[in-house]
Amino acid sequence: MEREHLKLVIVGHVDHGKSTLIGRLFFDTDSLPKEKIEEVKQICEALGKELEFAYVMDHLEEERSQGITIDTAQTFFKTEKRDYVIIDAPGHREFTKNMITGASQAEAAILIVDASEGVREQTRRHAYILGMLGLKQVIVAVNKMDLVDYSENVFNEVSKQTTDFLERIGIAPTYIIPISAKEGDNVAKASDRMKWYTGPTILQALDTFKKTEKRDENPLRFAVQDVYNIDGKRIIVGRVEAGTLRVGDNIIVLPTGEETTVETIEEFLKEDVKEAPSGKSTGITVADKLFIDRGHILYRKGEKAPHLLKEIKGNIFWMSKEPLVVGEKVVFKCSTQELPCTVKAIEKRIDSSTLEIIEENAEKLENREVGEVVLSFSTEVIVDDFNSTPDLGRFVIEKNYNISGGGIITHLER
Amino acid sequence: MITVIAIDALEYNLVEEFNMRNLKQEYYGKTDISEFSEPRTMVLWSSFMTGENKEEEILAKGDKEMWNTRIPHEETFFSHFENPFILDLPGYNYDLEQHERERRLLKEFFMEKDEEKKREIRKKYNENAFAHHRKIKERFLEALEGEYDFILGYFSVADVIGHLNFGNRMMMKMIYRDLDEIVSQVEGKKIVLSDHGMKAVGVFGDHSEYGFWSTNFKELGRPKITDFKSIILSETK
Repeated sequence: MEREHLKLVIVGHVDHGKSTLIGRLFFDTDSLPKEKIEEVKQICEALGKELEFAYVMDHLEEERSQGITIDTAQTFFKTEKRDYVIIDAPGHREFTKNMITGASQAEAAILIVDASEGVREQTRRHAYILGMLGLKQVIVAVNKMDLVDYSENVFNEVSKQTTDFLERIGIAPTYIIPISAKEGDNVAKASDRMKWYTGPTILQALDTFKKTEKRDENPLRFAVQDVYNIDGKRIIVGRVEAGTLRVGDNIIVLPTGEETTVETIEEFLKEDVKEAPSGKSTGITVADKLFIDRGHILYRKGEKAPHLLKEIKGNIFWMSKEPLVVGEKVVFKCSTQELPCTVKAIEKRIDSSTLEIIEENAEKLENREVGEVVLSFSTEVIVDDFNSTPDLGRFVIEKNYNISGGGIITHLER
Repeated sequence: MITVIAIDALEYNLVEEFNMRNLKQEYYGKTDISEFSEPRTMVLWSSFMTGENKEEEILAKGDKEMWNTRIPHEETFFSHFENPFILDLPGYNYDLEQHERERRLLKEFFMEKDEEKKREIRKKYNENAFAHHRKIKERFLEALEGEYDFILGYFSVADVIGHLNFGNRMMMKMIYRDLDEIVSQVEGKKIVLSDHGMKAVGVFGDHSEYGFWSTNFKELGRPKITDFKSIILSETK
């Protein structure tokens, strides 16, 4: 039977020990290739220093950046219960972008905070993104406890500081764990240097988390990527974003509103495929010759339809040195849709680190700020509630051909 | 008080790629060494310490004798300080025997045809370079505790190891990280400076046509290696 795997993201300030924690998780679960550790250990000795997991992670990252394939075993670590996939290398430049665009859809997160430094600006920004994306399974790991003599008081202080901030962005961490990734305390093994802590280790905590429920039972959403003509067949290729697509389904094509029936589901080297579950990219043929194109969304007749709107309101995390300006035209991308839109209003400008409202009805949104923004379209855009169909509820904004911001739709009313 | 961390063959592009924040400090860039016909270690460090282009003079000594260059203290800008500490700098006080051993092993490696023997030589070469690096690092960190008005530590590890192992990115990254950590332990005004960088030639490394500089106190633009004499002296006045 295929083992279950859970997608995990580790976030926090750049110096708070993400690499070391990842290294420790890999090492303590015997998930690292022995020869790699040996190689790194030898160079460490040659340089006159102790082996640190961060170096092992450096090595793996280096291979990745060089395009040397890491076999899947190396990006996983395993517990008895399941496999964990750590998505996004820490410190990765594209990290924030990937989180928001959904390139990496984490199911759980570890927010790491240095016990000796407490919450920093980057901690808050990363936490903000977790909150914005609605991640509920969050562990706060108070790291480097070895540097504060494993002090319960320090831990309590940092915990309070962290939870105070998280509360304001709607995150209630599932666990707050004092750890030393470097020394291995409370990561895989319970620490005997912090007897005052009786909660779970990081691994025990992770094992209590649940897989994100599959959205097979939700109303169907099929996003069209392209249409091909192969051997006289017109194959509509796309991805099932939610629900389950079945042969014989009566479907409605948006935005045209035309109806048809799914005749076949086409998969390479497979015959007689009857259904495609949520998350599957596949091809279909339909009974009628309708106008169907990239960016169109198919849903099942009788089920709740997605929204067709000429105006949306969303929270945007801006990530470009060039500001987003009211009145300007930018490109809105959501699932396979790509269309121009106008920035109608920036109702609020928020500092993503302090959560302070900097300005209401602002003219501009600067780098690393969050805005409550109204976007308007000349043709209707097809969107959904972020919680039921994340892929139709999240979007990115392209300005001057660069992905410059991303966000989620907060208001679906016209 | 100013500390110079002189790193042979520290390559600008690798510092960027590995994002070594301590090596980069606040201001960093490439040096202009285009006035020299080739990026030669002995020529460049001799020019650095005197503030004059020493190429002609050094090359006149010939390939072998060049390595024995010892520029008198009073001809260097170090003489402007009362109690300077200069560690292992080529052309001034570097360990001749150590560097001679490195060059010999390097030559042996390229002369050897047998792959197995080549591996052995490389191993010996690397061990020798790393052992020297550990020693230099220890002495440098000790010196930081001392009562000096100028400190210069010269680190050859990136150059020596790079020549035979530049294609081993992990090894190079770990060396850069180690150098980065060394820089992080220096307090006060500091300059990181290389004579030249390094570029890949297959799995090996050869000198690149620019050096690297960084400071935590001043933007230097694209300085020449001979400019550092006046930069350092004006900063320590």
